[in-house]
Amino acid sequence: MTTTKREKSLIVIQLTGGNDYLNTVVPYEEGKYYDSRPAINIPQDKVIPVDGRYGFNPSMGPIKALWDEGKVAVINGIGYENPNRSHFRSMDIWHTAEPDAIGKEGWLGRAIRDLDPQSENVLTGINFGRGLPRALACPGVSVASVGDLDTYGLFPDVQDEELRRFTLEAFSRMYGGAAGRDPVMEFLGQTGQDALQGADILRTAPAMYSSTVEYAPDALSQNIKSISQVFHAGLGARVLYTQHGPQFDTHSGQLATHAKLWGELSGAVSCLMDDLKEHGTEDDASILVFSEFGRRIQDNGSGSDHGSAGVAFMIGGAVNGGMYGEYPSLAEAEQVEGDLRSNNDFRSVYTGILEDWLELDAVPIVNGQFEKFDIFTS
Amino acid sequence: MISNDTDLMAHLLRRAGFGANRNELEEYLAMGYDGAVETLLNPSDPRNMPDDLIRRYHVDQSELRDLPGSAAYWMYRMISTACPMEEKTALFWHGLFATGYAKLNQARSLLNQVEMFRRSGLGSFEDLLVELSKDPAMIVWLDNNENHGSAINENYGRELLELFSMGIGNYTEDDIKECARAFTGWTLGNAEYMAIRAAKDSIWPYGRIAWHFDYRDEDHDDGEKTFLGETGRFNGEDIIAIIVKQEATARFVASRLFQFFAADEITEAGEKIIEEMMATYFSSGYQIRDMLRTLFHSEYFQSEEARFARVKSPVEMVVGAVRMAGNYQNPYLGIEGVSNTMFYMGQGLLRPPTVEGWHEGAEWIDSGALVERVNFVAKELSDVSSPGVRSIIDRLEAGGDQGVLQPSDLADGCLDLLGPIQVSDETRSVLVEYASRLGDLDLNGHQPGDQAEQRVGAMLRLVAATREYQLA
Amino acid sequence: MSTQTKSPEIVLDYVKTVGIVNNGYNGRGFANPYDIVVGGDGRIFVLNRCDPLRAAAIRIGICNLDEEYLGEFGRGSGTGDEQFVWPVAMALGSQNRLYITDEHSHRVTLYDIPSNAPVKYLTHWGKHGAGDGELNGPAGIAIDSSDNVFVVDQHNSRVQKFTSEGEFIANWGSSGSGEGQFNLPWGAAVDDDDNIYVADWRNDRIQKFTNDGEFLAAFGSPGDGEGQFHRPTSVAVDAEGFIYVADWGNERVQVLGADGSFQLLLKGEATVSKWGEEYLASNPEEKAQRDVSNLIPELPAHLNTPYHISSQTEPYFWGPVSVSLDHDGRLYVTETNRHRFQVYQKR
Repeated sequence: MTTTKREKSLIVIQLTGGNDYLNTVVPYEEGKYYDSRPAINIPQDKVIPVDGRYGFNPSMGPIKALWDEGKVAVINGIGYENPNRSHFRSMDIWHTAEPDAIGKEGWLGRAIRDLDPQSENVLTGINFGRGLPRALACPGVSVASVGDLDTYGLFPDVQDEELRRFTLEAFSRMYGGAAGRDPVMEFLGQTGQDALQGADILRTAPAMYSSTVEYAPDALSQNIKSISQVFHAGLGARVLYTQHGPQFDTHSGQLATHAKLWGELSGAVSCLMDDLKEHGTEDDASILVFSEFGRRIQDNGSGSDHGSAGVAFMIGGAVNGGMYGEYPSLAEAEQVEGDLRSNNDFRSVYTGILEDWLELDAVPIVNGQFEKFDIFTS
Repeated sequence: MISNDTDLMAHLLRRAGFGANRNELEEYLAMGYDGAVETLLNPSDPRNMPDDLIRRYHVDQSELRDLPGSAAYWMYRMISTACPMEEKTALFWHGLFATGYAKLNQARSLLNQVEMFRRSGLGSFEDLLVELSKDPAMIVWLDNNENHGSAINENYGRELLELFSMGIGNYTEDDIKECARAFTGWTLGNAEYMAIRAAKDSIWPYGRIAWHFDYRDEDHDDGEKTFLGETGRFNGEDIIAIIVKQEATARFVASRLFQFFAADEITEAGEKIIEEMMATYFSSGYQIRDMLRTLFHSEYFQSEEARFARVKSPVEMVVGAVRMAGNYQNPYLGIEGVSNTMFYMGQGLLRPPTVEGWHEGAEWIDSGALVERVNFVAKELSDVSSPGVRSIIDRLEAGGDQGVLQPSDLADGCLDLLGPIQVSDETRSVLVEYASRLGDLDLNGHQPGDQAEQRVGAMLRLVAATREYQLA
Repeated sequence: MSTQTKSPEIVLDYVKTVGIVNNGYNGRGFANPYDIVVGGDGRIFVLNRCDPLRAAAIRIGICNLDEEYLGEFGRGSGTGDEQFVWPVAMALGSQNRLYITDEHSHRVTLYDIPSNAPVKYLTHWGKHGAGDGELNGPAGIAIDSSDNVFVVDQHNSRVQKFTSEGEFIANWGSSGSGEGQFNLPWGAAVDDDDNIYVADWRNDRIQKFTNDGEFLAAFGSPGDGEGQFHRPTSVAVDAEGFIYVADWGNERVQVLGADGSFQLLLKGEATVSKWGEEYLASNPEEKAQRDVSNLIPELPAHLNTPYHISSQTEPYFWGPVSVSLDHDGRLYVTETNRHRFQVYQKR
């Protein structure tokens, strides 16, 4: 066991499409739930009871097991004022921590910048999946987007090992060459070298990894496995991000689709927690699971449409398990245009993560002061 | 470096188009520089991939319900057009009057806006601003459907002045209000229903319903207004007529055109050209075409200083490489993967991040984007089965010493046929050394995919991967 | 072409619209439907081509005229058994056999669809190529009274005739615009005399052949007038010989007499389906705005083409890619851009 204090890392799983809160944490004691959802309710005898009033979706068995170990924090009724029910816009709001204006910098992009102000480690933040989510974007902050860890880097299409090596060497020499007084060429040169270096380092991660945990073949599980490989390779990755979905947008055929997605998600998270435990790193990583909004109370005959207040999860060895926030009331008087009313701002959770977990100043990152929950131990 | 006609034409086509393969370059060279400028500035029949073919195979590009197919639809046009300046112009205005899918959830209407840019983008700026103000995608984007005579919403009025014409410092807050008042009633048909569908991303019951302009006279504030010192019962067109008369507007249009078509940075020499373009703006009656003619004919534009003075946008990287390789000339399963690449590089067509558009120039480059950029063009141009690459191989063979090329000829030939691209001595020496690994290249009797052809592909890959290739 | 205006010999009354967009695999609704076949027992099979983002939702949905959704089958996108990449058309053979073409996988897939038992996958046949019996972009498909299968072999510019097991019998056609020539042909139909009709898409016409491929007649010419077509995608023929044409590029359906004379055209007049009503009932704010909206608006000049008009006028056909008939005189028009089908009844 190493004696160096490992820095804490944040793993983020974005549920894309608008995860249905009411069928994730089910208010199975409420008549109104069943009255409003004749087509898509979870029957009382199928729900996994959690605390006498609420229960998990039947596909969340592994999450329940983690809950029993005290490692799952459920943040109920999370959202923001003036809910926006458009996928892109609402996700942008979560990504930039800016509900009222159009933000341009991601909250995690800023966090990565503050974690590595001198840009010494191009692998401080990594996205697993193609295309950089706005959450991680911030000018001047290098974030790798890894579609496939095994082939990540430059010229992945070159099959011939030797040829690839020669090509990379040539690339390195061209980008390392003097740029004269041309600032753009200089900048390109530096960026190219950073990219090469980052890719070289990242590619060593799978080889350094060993584990008895077997991850399922679905895309999310494989991305989570890559996260584990990179995390355990000790490359200084502090923010690791991936997505599940976009099928969470269950306007029709909800029951089957939602069950499948949560089955995959629960399996992936459970494998990751086992992996962390096996490596003795359970207290060094925390997992945030969120979605851009919850869904409507009333079903539409086959599924549910975009709503507002939702649920987020914080999972990890260093997490104070339990229910946070309040479960929104389904009563008509409490609804917001037919949707659940949120009772805590998502930036409170961000603040807790930034301050208590990553030890950063949260206010400039989330553009304000928000009261946080006591989610992390010690 | 010696400037010659070929270099200059290649430079013009990188700016007024997406670059050119050698066949295209020769066609334009035959017209002479002036002839080429006129042909480019007067797009006629684009002869692009026909709509019926696209819609038959790509069902998603028939309805245009979602983003990936819609971006691919425009990309097909850029790839196959015979009038690249038409697409570059549309792309320019799309970046300037940045209207994004995120809020609208209406790709068909966004693409109608792009079509409007094709139709009106090279004509009078005054006409363009009027069409823009009537464009339903813009109306929803900047909330002008919420701008009522009884309660004004300033969003469009403000951005029209701040981002689409004069720029901050050239008008007052009062001018913004008066401007907004003048545009009350400028809305879209079934505005409330369309707005709620946009906000909820509703596709029910039967998919999307596209938009059209509607003028609600009863919602229009017909009262007297004072705008930039002039008074009258102005409606939107009147405001625009005043806006386009302003020197600040001339400077704005000239500067933005300059930065998109000439150089990312404005030097002293560039500043002079901008002033010439401003003069043309007024003398021609606000014609964009004339301003661009001034630019393309200027000594500055044709000089060394303007060569490779722009970082290619992701769209130019992808479309340029695809056109050079001659790929995707027919509907292709998985085409969204190609258009998504532009998004991964940082420029998603139809989804500019904000109304300010994209930050261009060196800001396109970060380590993640650079990997995407290099990987895409390297792969595209190293594929010896692509028609464009095969054409390069044939030309190299013809240009060799009885089909044999020395390593330096291979390197220089590829640099020439992919551009011509100018590279530093150091870059060139790396390319030559890379080619020298396997000695002279004999292309006689080459067969599809054989070793000799693969060597050409490998050299093209490396040229595409240079820093210099990133520039336009 | 006759210059007299005769009153049509056929009248079609609008009955209803069935459908709602559903991008997921399960549950009621359709996603870019490309064809419909109606079984003798009233089951309606809808082929969902889907968009690439959600190719996993490619399926064949089953419903009926009472707008009950009965389920779906197929295993999404791919080249394995029961998977499709670019499915185009379907046809019903006797013995409850359903045939489905795929123009990217170059094959025909067969299902057993008995009335009172689950749908069962049988097999697929077809090989990519240009030789006899090989396929390059199979599109339309039609079955004659002897269960011979006619496949429109799009990129080979021909029609091919197979046994129901996929054994090659004959083919005819070549590329061009002359008699018996084709240009990216699409849909196919068989009449009660076992003649074969082909929607010759890019030649803007319908061609009629004997069962052995002998040219009989061609109907239509390019244009948007009566009896003219712009990219017809599908054809169907009823017991009286009326010819129904999906005039896709003109966003309309035309009916011709057996002699090719123009009878009538339909623009579409969709109303809210049952599933649509359910959606609107649970989204009252949206319904409220819809109720006061003009769903047939006037459009500015630059949007005055059939495609653009249909994109903004919800009741009109938009992407009417297929016409199908049942044995009770009903016409079903499948609209790929509107995720529904409209039903008309012959009087």
